[in-house]
Amino acid sequence: MTRFILAALVLAVTASPALAQVSFVGDWSGRYHEDQPDRVPGEEPGDFSGIPLNEAARRFGDAWDVARHSVIEHQCAPYTLPYMFFGPNQFRIWEERHPDTQELIAIQMYMGTYQQRRTIWLDGRPHPPEYAPHTFMGFSTGEWNGDVLTITTTHIKAGYYRRTGVPQSDRSTVVEHWMRHGNLLSQVTIASDPVYLSEPYIRSQEFVTMERGNTNWLYNCEYVQELPTDKNDVPHFLPGQNPFIGEFAARHAMPEGGVRGGVETLLPEWRPGAKPAAPRPNANGGFRPEHQPSKLAVGEVKAVPVQGNVHMIVGAGANIAVQVGQDGILVVDAGAAGTSDKVLAAIKALAPGKEIRWMVNTTFRPDHTAGNEPISKAGRTVNGNTADIIAHENVAARMIKAGIPDSSRPFKTFFESGRDLPFNGEAVIIYHPDSATTDTDSIVMFRRSDVIAAGDVYRTDSFPVIDPDNGGTTQGTIDALNHILSLTVPSKMLQEGGTYVIPGHGRISDEHDVVMYRDMVLIIRDRIRDMVEKNMTLEQVKAARPALDYEGRYGSDTGSWTTAMFIEAIYKDLSAARKAGAATRSAR
Amino acid sequence: MRRNSLLLSTASFLLVAAIAFGRSDVAAQRGAGGQRGAGPAAAPQTARTRGPVDFTGTWVSVVTEDWRWRMVTPPKDQSAAASIPVNQEARRVAQSWDLEADNKGGNQCRAFGVGGINRQPGRLRISWQDDNTLKFEYDAGTQTRLLYFDRAAQPPAEKTWQGFSRADWEGPGVGRGAAPVGDNRVTGGGLPGAAGVPGGGGQGLRGGPPPRGQARINTGANLKIVTTNFREGYLRKNGIPYSEQAVITEYIHRLPTHPNGDNWLQVITIVEDPRYLTQPYYTSTNFRLEPNDAGFRPTPCQTAPPLPVKTPSK
Repeated sequence: MTRFILAALVLAVTASPALAQVSFVGDWSGRYHEDQPDRVPGEEPGDFSGIPLNEAARRFGDAWDVARHSVIEHQCAPYTLPYMFFGPNQFRIWEERHPDTQELIAIQMYMGTYQQRRTIWLDGRPHPPEYAPHTFMGFSTGEWNGDVLTITTTHIKAGYYRRTGVPQSDRSTVVEHWMRHGNLLSQVTIASDPVYLSEPYIRSQEFVTMERGNTNWLYNCEYVQELPTDKNDVPHFLPGQNPFIGEFAARHAMPEGGVRGGVETLLPEWRPGAKPAAPRPNANGGFRPEHQPSKLAVGEVKAVPVQGNVHMIVGAGANIAVQVGQDGILVVDAGAAGTSDKVLAAIKALAPGKEIRWMVNTTFRPDHTAGNEPISKAGRTVNGNTADIIAHENVAARMIKAGIPDSSRPFKTFFESGRDLPFNGEAVIIYHPDSATTDTDSIVMFRRSDVIAAGDVYRTDSFPVIDPDNGGTTQGTIDALNHILSLTVPSKMLQEGGTYVIPGHGRISDEHDVVMYRDMVLIIRDRIRDMVEKNMTLEQVKAARPALDYEGRYGSDTGSWTTAMFIEAIYKDLSAARKAGAATRSAR
Repeated sequence: MRRNSLLLSTASFLLVAAIAFGRSDVAAQRGAGGQRGAGPAAAPQTARTRGPVDFTGTWVSVVTEDWRWRMVTPPKDQSAAASIPVNQEARRVAQSWDLEADNKGGNQCRAFGVGGINRQPGRLRISWQDDNTLKFEYDAGTQTRLLYFDRAAQPPAEKTWQGFSRADWEGPGVGRGAAPVGDNRVTGGGLPGAAGVPGGGGQGLRGGPPPRGQARINTGANLKIVTTNFREGYLRKNGIPYSEQAVITEYIHRLPTHPNGDNWLQVITIVEDPRYLTQPYYTSTNFRLEPNDAGFRPTPCQTAPPLPVKTPSK
């Protein structure tokens, strides 16, 4: 005992203090002493004050109609992380420690608002790859800077920085700093968003420990359809037609230039009429690689689990869905030319000893079908033939027209609106939309696994490649996206998870991701249609930038599918439809 | 038994030594200096040398919160005190706010007092007045606050807009100076291998702000300030009052350097006012480090009149 005291005293005298780590364990409740009207009752349209947003975000916000919350798929959508702590919230924090060493592995959070769960990993693990699903709370890692816990979060779904439509993209990264002083937790949130912010958006919120229990920990949300609405009705305002813009400034005696936000309005020297500030280079960047989604190495092909029996192969051009089970292997799409060896290796690793029995083509495009022949030949039907390729007959027709040899073409074609087959103990349902991005598209649903392979109807890396020359139409693309939404069912985690969607290109998604994409296509379509009806020329339409608010996320000035090509495709499609309508009316 | 006594004696000696060591630190903080043991005189520990964080430099407020009440003078209407946990008495006082009367009565600085100064858009220049006094200068209203680490310091007889502030370092690293620059985990962009200089400065920059991206940050500690003895002022430009009975506690953090190189200062302010508030009033204000103080332009206490409220037109 004496030795123990002695040792303790020696340590007390000689040792440096251990790196302090503050405990945040407890139940916390927000104090809304800043921006309370925004944060608790809700905001007024057109208020962008205090946000370093860019012109794309303003366009998005100007188009925002609060009635969008009434859309079925939006009704139960939670706040995303950048807003979660700003809005009304209370949360519970507990720690996850290693059972043997008692080292802190993670901080766990449960938030009463939307019943969100969050894990902040403190064990040094890297952030997931870019093709991983995104969630409302994202993926968080933390590190201590003395008594300050610094958290970096990526993989956040698209959402809002302010509840009335100041958009936040799914490319955002949030850095938080947590500090505790007695019963006060102060949390700084710094959001970086190359799509919608000119520079990081810093906010700080205060929370206090709850002295008495609060029973308001549940958020039961059940969506309802109160009135019959068209799936094509996503509430929004066309450019220049939002009647509520300006109302906020007038009501609260604020300069109109100020409520429009922007970096320049945040500094003391700002005066009404000030010119927009030049963006600082790399203002939204600088993150350490381990704090950002990892990317595939050049030439790397990888299989990742999605859900149930279904996996996704990435890195081979278009995404490939692979279903494995007792019956063998079913492959949806075959990847780009030159990738087949790696694709086959990835498939074999998923199901050693199993044969590829079936293949499905979701389109005729070569980044999906160039691997047809080698992968088909590597497989065997139960009759000993090469693996059968199923596709809508238009796929075969388009490939014949393009001079693709027989050995690469699908022979199990269908002409009707769909086909289904049982395989590996689940229903595999193939749905063919009449004319989506082309007239060859198919969507494949694995019913028990609850996974959809969407083909190019849905992709997270670009605007949809609507190809009128190959039978594509804008409305058909929207209809196909709506069909996906009719199949998806989110989990009880409120618009998250449940049915997973493998896009033609990009990351694993769920219903919320698809609905945001559907909204985007529909809104841009509506804008261009309005311009067509006003007899604007294609050049005038392009100059009006009807896709401005989405260009930073899905657009491109170079490559095989540019923003200009996307706008032109919709313009021509809608112009042709208008002419056809006029001809029909005159014939009557 | 005898062996145990010896050990206990040794333990007692070490305990006394530990206490003495701690006391000498306190004494140094008071500026008493003094010698330890028979060796050469140790340099007295001052607030500056004990400081685990370097706050010096010029910081600009980036107004992303309460913009509508900070960047413009809000009107005197029903929502004038929104967000602030005021009581009926405060509302009554706020409704009688008269900007012109303030200006004529020499009370222009009511919105620039310690309870509201951090919420004014402006620049904050932080430097050491002396080794135990930190100086906060605000260009908005040309206000200066002196933060006394020295326990012997006493408030002046007359109350001022900025009152009397006692400061203390809190958290890890107090007494060890700021973290070395080479600690990339903390600085996110320091000079590898370069040693930090305790107290303030480093890299030959003593007396001036560290260059952007090379700033010594901190050990994750903070500064606590408790302010009393101030004149009644405004929490918000439009006359929401705080009283002389209030106590204002602040926690100042220099945040770890952001990945893009930005350095942020966070000021958490807690106003406890038995006269005008129903509960503690919490705000946190964010300032970004500037490369120099070229933007620091002192202006007199001046509050613009509110813009007229318009009826929204559709």
